[in-house]
Amino acid sequence: MKKIVATTSCPTGIAHTYMAAESLIEAAKKMDNVEIKVETQGSVGVENELSEKDISEADAVIIAADTNVEMDRFSGKYVVNVSVGDAIDDAESLIKRALKGAEENKDKKIEEDNSDLYNKVSEEKSKRKTERRGAYKHLMTGVSFMLPFVVAGGLSIALSFVFGINAAEQEGTLAAALMQIGGGTAFALMVPILAGYIAYSIADRPGIAPGMIGGMLANSLGSGFLGGIIAGFMAGYLTQWLKNVIKLPKSLQGLMPVLVLPLLSSLTVGLLMIYLIGPPVEAIMTGLEGWLQGMSGSNAVILGLILGAMMAFDMGGPVNKAAYTFGVGLLGSQIYEPMAAIMAAGMTPPLGLALATLLFKKRFTQQEIEAGKAAWVMGISFITEGAIPFAAADPLRVIPSIMTGSAVTGALSMLFGASLKAPHGGIFVLPIPNVVTNLGFYVLAIAAGVIITAIMLRLLKPQLVD
Amino acid sequence: MEVKEFINTSLIKMNLESSKKNEVIKELINIVADNDLITDSEEVYKKALDREAKGTTGVGKGVAIPHVKSSAVKKPTVAFGRSKDGIDYGSMDEKPTYLFFLIVVPEESHDQHLKLLAQLSRKLVHDDFRESLMEAKSPEDILDILENN
Repeated sequence: MKKIVATTSCPTGIAHTYMAAESLIEAAKKMDNVEIKVETQGSVGVENELSEKDISEADAVIIAADTNVEMDRFSGKYVVNVSVGDAIDDAESLIKRALKGAEENKDKKIEEDNSDLYNKVSEEKSKRKTERRGAYKHLMTGVSFMLPFVVAGGLSIALSFVFGINAAEQEGTLAAALMQIGGGTAFALMVPILAGYIAYSIADRPGIAPGMIGGMLANSLGSGFLGGIIAGFMAGYLTQWLKNVIKLPKSLQGLMPVLVLPLLSSLTVGLLMIYLIGPPVEAIMTGLEGWLQGMSGSNAVILGLILGAMMAFDMGGPVNKAAYTFGVGLLGSQIYEPMAAIMAAGMTPPLGLALATLLFKKRFTQQEIEAGKAAWVMGISFITEGAIPFAAADPLRVIPSIMTGSAVTGALSMLFGASLKAPHGGIFVLPIPNVVTNLGFYVLAIAAGVIITAIMLRLLKPQLVD
Repeated sequence: MEVKEFINTSLIKMNLESSKKNEVIKELINIVADNDLITDSEEVYKKALDREAKGTTGVGKGVAIPHVKSSAVKKPTVAFGRSKDGIDYGSMDEKPTYLFFLIVVPEESHDQHLKLLAQLSRKLVHDDFRESLMEAKSPEDILDILENN
């Protein structure tokens, strides 16, 4: 006995929805080995709703709809997506098509079936935890797609440091290759993927192109992951809106997905990014750099506090870059203390989050807890980006937490008078003689920030409900 | 809630006069207007054509279900019309259409009404239901089939 789940929907929701449903049920009755459950999304609302169990037990999914039907819940299943009329017209061949398709894609499904019960339970749990409503859901979709890029990229960079902190500067070496994979490629894809899949979550497939293009622009304009989030939401909602307002005559409808939507949405998002996001980002960066220059002579501890908070604010965005460039610039004038504060403050966000996922498991999704393990490695390597997935998923709580921790670390590092002569490398530069001064207190400053970050996260993040 | 609530013998026309798609829609709307169930038949006609432009309601198997949701509708109503010769309705299966159900509902409709209409739509899928509608001799027969199937 094969099981099929289907959902039907039409614009008015008065007639076609139900005729399609009935046709599918009738056709399944005539075929003796098929069981079907059909959900109708009509004017009365959703009836005979498919449960998670229904979907997980199904061999294939049929969507017969002329409206947008939520696709996420069918992920991993073989889906036949047709117009509602096709189901009324010939439901039987539709069912056959679904079963045939499912059969051909069987390998994927078997893998799932073999996974043991424990995996299934925890998978289910993490799915529930990550299931959020509206904008949160879109953000989480983007973050979960971005995460592998952050982990792969961050760990590749960390590996390149193993060959010596400047090894990657030698072209043709393995270290350079690792840096090219991690920093040059995986990290370059990070923000486009985030933006692209936020948009995908909102507008389905047509959202990907404008989202990724907007995200890439966010990168090249230096607006970091926060710019990427803006690009993703902009691209998603814009595409969704365009889908609804543009009405083309039937003969031209084929042009919608291949020409009209991608072009209009990408152009609009791109122009908005360049003209609306670009200038303020640049202004923020030059403004902050000037401001920091003016701060040079003032109280060292306050400077450390500010630099620390800036490092954690947008991790790769304009504020972070302004602080980092300021520190690197001072190296040339033989002033090494701010660089020490900056690196320490850049290490605490991933480390603090890693510690928090270890101690406060109820406040993080399963996916975040796993990502926490990689965050340890990225933290000690001064790859602040390791904290981005956490910050992107819950910016209003995570960013203040990591800023506090980083600010404390920055201030302490300045107070202890630690200095650093290399602009990167994390823990790998510490054992090298004469690069770091006051090593013991420097490590203490980092540890303090890590613990404070974790405590802040404990206070700000609510427990997730199972 | 029963079928009688939105259809009666005066809303049933055994032999439609029109031979073209838009004329059929107009003819069915006029029946509803004659029964004083809509306030503005031009508006309803316009909305019906709008709906057809989005995708034909000629669902194949000789059936068409033009439908309108509008504030010009007083209460949920179904008008039934039949064409012996069949009409080219631009149907999904490109075959002639014989059975026509015009469904009109007010902008704000009770779920009860909508559910009943949904049931009617479901019945249309069944071959024997359509066949008995084709063979019916009088409006009373039609009403009987709608009620008892």
